[in-house]
Amino acid sequence: MAATFGPGRQRGVFRGWDRFDYVLVLSAVGLVVFGLLLIYSGTYRTYEGPPASFANPVTKQAIFAIFGIIVMLAVSKIDYHYLTHYSPVLYGISLLSLVAILLMGHSAYGSTRWFNLGPIQIQPSEFAKLATILLLAKFFSAHGGDAKDLRTLIFSLGIVAPCFALVFIQPDLGTSIVFVSVWLGVVLVAGVSRRHLFILAAVGLAVLPFAWTFFVADYQIERISVLVDPEEDPLDAGYNVIQSQIAVGSGQLTGKGLTNGEQTQLGYLKVATKDFIFSLQAEELGFAGSMVMFSLFIVLLMRGIRAAQIAGDISGQLVAVGIVILILMQAFINIAVNLSLFPVTGIPLPLVSQGGSSLVSIFVSLGLLQSIIMRHRAYRQT
Amino acid sequence: MSALGGGFRSPSTPSRNRPHGNLAALRIAVIVLFGILTAQLFNMQILQGSDYARRSRENHLTRKEILPPRGLILDRNGTPLVRNVGIYTAVITPTFLPEEPEARYALYLRLETLLGVPALEIQSRVKEKEADGKGDIEFPIKEGLTKEQALALEEMTADTSGVALSIQPGREYIGGDAFSHILGYIGKQTPEEYRDLKGEGYSLNEPVGKGGVELTYQEILRGQKGATAAEQDAQGNLLKALKSRDAVPGDNVRLAIDVDLQNYIAEMLVDSLPNPVTMNQKNATQAAAVVMSAKTGEVLALVSVPTYDNNIFAQVAQRGAEYEELATNNATRPLTNKALSQALPGSTYKLITAAAALQEGNITPSTSRDIPSRILEIKGENGVIYPLVDWRAHGSGIDLTQAIAWSSNIYMFMAVCGIPNGSLQPHKAIGKDVDSSASIFAYYQRAFGMGQPTGIDIPGEDIGRVPDPAWKARNYAGPEYTDNDRDWFYADTCFTAIGQQDVLATPLQIARMTAAIATGKLFTPHVAKDILDADGKVVRTIKPDWKSVPVDEANLAAVRRGMHESVLAGAGLRAQVPGMDIAGKTGTAEFGTQRADLTYDQHAWFTGYYPYNDPEYVVTVYFDYGVGGDKAAPAAANIFSWMNQNLK
Repeated sequence: MAATFGPGRQRGVFRGWDRFDYVLVLSAVGLVVFGLLLIYSGTYRTYEGPPASFANPVTKQAIFAIFGIIVMLAVSKIDYHYLTHYSPVLYGISLLSLVAILLMGHSAYGSTRWFNLGPIQIQPSEFAKLATILLLAKFFSAHGGDAKDLRTLIFSLGIVAPCFALVFIQPDLGTSIVFVSVWLGVVLVAGVSRRHLFILAAVGLAVLPFAWTFFVADYQIERISVLVDPEEDPLDAGYNVIQSQIAVGSGQLTGKGLTNGEQTQLGYLKVATKDFIFSLQAEELGFAGSMVMFSLFIVLLMRGIRAAQIAGDISGQLVAVGIVILILMQAFINIAVNLSLFPVTGIPLPLVSQGGSSLVSIFVSLGLLQSIIMRHRAYRQT
Repeated sequence: MSALGGGFRSPSTPSRNRPHGNLAALRIAVIVLFGILTAQLFNMQILQGSDYARRSRENHLTRKEILPPRGLILDRNGTPLVRNVGIYTAVITPTFLPEEPEARYALYLRLETLLGVPALEIQSRVKEKEADGKGDIEFPIKEGLTKEQALALEEMTADTSGVALSIQPGREYIGGDAFSHILGYIGKQTPEEYRDLKGEGYSLNEPVGKGGVELTYQEILRGQKGATAAEQDAQGNLLKALKSRDAVPGDNVRLAIDVDLQNYIAEMLVDSLPNPVTMNQKNATQAAAVVMSAKTGEVLALVSVPTYDNNIFAQVAQRGAEYEELATNNATRPLTNKALSQALPGSTYKLITAAAALQEGNITPSTSRDIPSRILEIKGENGVIYPLVDWRAHGSGIDLTQAIAWSSNIYMFMAVCGIPNGSLQPHKAIGKDVDSSASIFAYYQRAFGMGQPTGIDIPGEDIGRVPDPAWKARNYAGPEYTDNDRDWFYADTCFTAIGQQDVLATPLQIARMTAAIATGKLFTPHVAKDILDADGKVVRTIKPDWKSVPVDEANLAAVRRGMHESVLAGAGLRAQVPGMDIAGKTGTAEFGTQRADLTYDQHAWFTGYYPYNDPEYVVTVYFDYGVGGDKAAPAAANIFSWMNQNLK
């Protein structure tokens, strides 16, 4: 036995598909199906081609979902330690593609976020998030999972900072916040000293006014001020805020029914199947539908936290924590934007929004969670 | 496994690589963040849900108002004087235009081809509106499209968004230029008008009357707006009509004006403007005439020349130069209604003078004087002798009838001011002193409608002026005047008595006064006769409205005898029409500065009525240059004659 498990003492031990977390997968598939219904509702009036075509947003999303599930299964099979081992390479590629996109990317709604590869658009920031999480996990694992040392803390900040900066100047305020949240969550779990955190927070607050002046684009300020008073500029930046408010509010308890929301169907709600898909959901399926969606997210996240809990080692735990925070913050910011609690920023709703890059990258991260679950320490102990 | 996965706790190892993170905080974070979202969702969907639902309906339900057809204006015999037409305007709503600049510009180019408005101009105007934050409000890019342009634009709007054809109700005035001053015109509301009308349910795009009958009877002509509700998408396309309420057409206004009489007088006055070369007068440039019923006060003709085409106001874009010329013509002021403009009334005023003197008992019809000279010399309060001039030496035994028939100034001085001294046999004034004479006389002038609006249903009439001591003191109150300027003198009353110096009256006021002499009733004149609904049924008749003048019938009859004599054998002889029994009074009002030959420019007046025994119609004619008996009387004769032959 010892020979068989020799390498496994340091890496994880694969214990077979019987440990596979089906609840995690089912909640994710549930959210994807939710998304497919909403994408159908949001696009059937404008899409006129055959249903089986790749041009049909629903079909395209379903194909991406199936592809994502296959990738997830494949990633589950891989020991996550290989990925953390090669995370510097993945991280390097991500950084390069983020730099490349700044130079040549496609611009939509005033920001540069993706590459065009034929019919597929690839958004490198989606994968950069994962690469960052893996590198952070590797880094803390090498340092005994301890962020108590101020130097370690600042080094870890150095890992996040380049991605944060590149995403921030795209500009993508929401994803930048996701990066910060992931880092913060990981260092908290890695046991950062409160004193150090306060010092960093103080420095951050001191730098903030300068960052605001020099780095926050005018459009971001406008979006923030629009959130404060959307009626100020109802037809420009405030338009989406007002229309999403009306869509959400008018959904009331049970919604207007799928494909029956006037805000969506008559075109008042812009990007209704992407960043504003939650408004579509709230208008057509109401408060009740939203509660179902929230439940699915909570189950998914709790299963992710469970993965962190049972992880076999520090790197596994930190990867799981990073992924949970990644999904949590994206979902929270996206829905908060839809509910006018947060300035408009281009963050998709994980698993639900139309868009292949986000979908596949989330499935990759779910695969990572499965990989961690299937190699958890209970098995390593035996 | 529990769905929330919390229960699993594995035994720990002493390994340095043992996970030691605290994950409870993360679970709490999940619950708290989704709790925040749930709370906000509850707030928006449950607590404020119905409010948002209403806003959602308002968002996609669009209410479009249907403007009602405006009521027509007809002449007394039912001939329409106006026609409702559509005014086509190309409008743009920037918000609904295509997003891509190339597509937008392609659209502008199509519009340039169609309408002749440069694409660059359209582009800059759209940008301007968007910069002002008015992108969702449609604005006109070209008004007054031809029918062909309107059709082509309508076709084009089928496959483009953001451009539309707007059809505004407009008016075409088909009665001829002679009706321009009576009818007025309609046009867009000014911001000030809209502020006042908004409260009455007007929408900004509703045209309103801007003058004349169109303005006075705006509420009657307007009708009731209809509305349709339709579903509209975010690009402004109407998807389906939900419900509608039809507009109710406005009521029609039937005028007392006779279209043929009005047109006849207008042409005749224009033809009569040039003076015979023998007359010591400039050619007339402006004239006015009023024909009024002596029984009801309704106005059968209200003519002002020169006139203009009031269709110009609907086409200012195309006919701007023409309009500019009309508006700046200060010589004849064609836009001004001369029948409602004040001028020196001259000897027509002697009718009031005579009535006042008779009623005050200062003269009787048989009071007579020898008037052997044109000059009456009166010694003033300061001892200086002032000459008061008549237009001729009337001769001996001039009584009231002769004095009116031949328009004696000196007799009228005697009748009101009295003759305190001088060459003529003295006579008392109507008051105990100069001031009280002026005040008593002013009372009668006002009783005959002078110095006040007649109340005609056409806006903008002059009110005229009754000079009296109070007016004079007020008018010369400024520091540049002396007390002497402000004082009222004996001669002031005398000049007023013959319609000279400071007194002003409009042709309509003179006509109204003439009717009062003829009937004892001071009517409120009106050009509208009744209101008809869209089916032609009378819904309201404008009833005659008058007040009695404070002069006994016997005294009025004495004045009328003088008028009768004037046309039979006096100064008004040229107003005579064979077979008609007409009474009238001429007026020749001197104005301006004295010329080298000691004469003045003169306004020509004639006011009269027929039949003498049972007054039915009053006719008043005014020319800006001319002698009453030679200029206005023959024109009045033409009118009397035409009426006698043609009026039903």
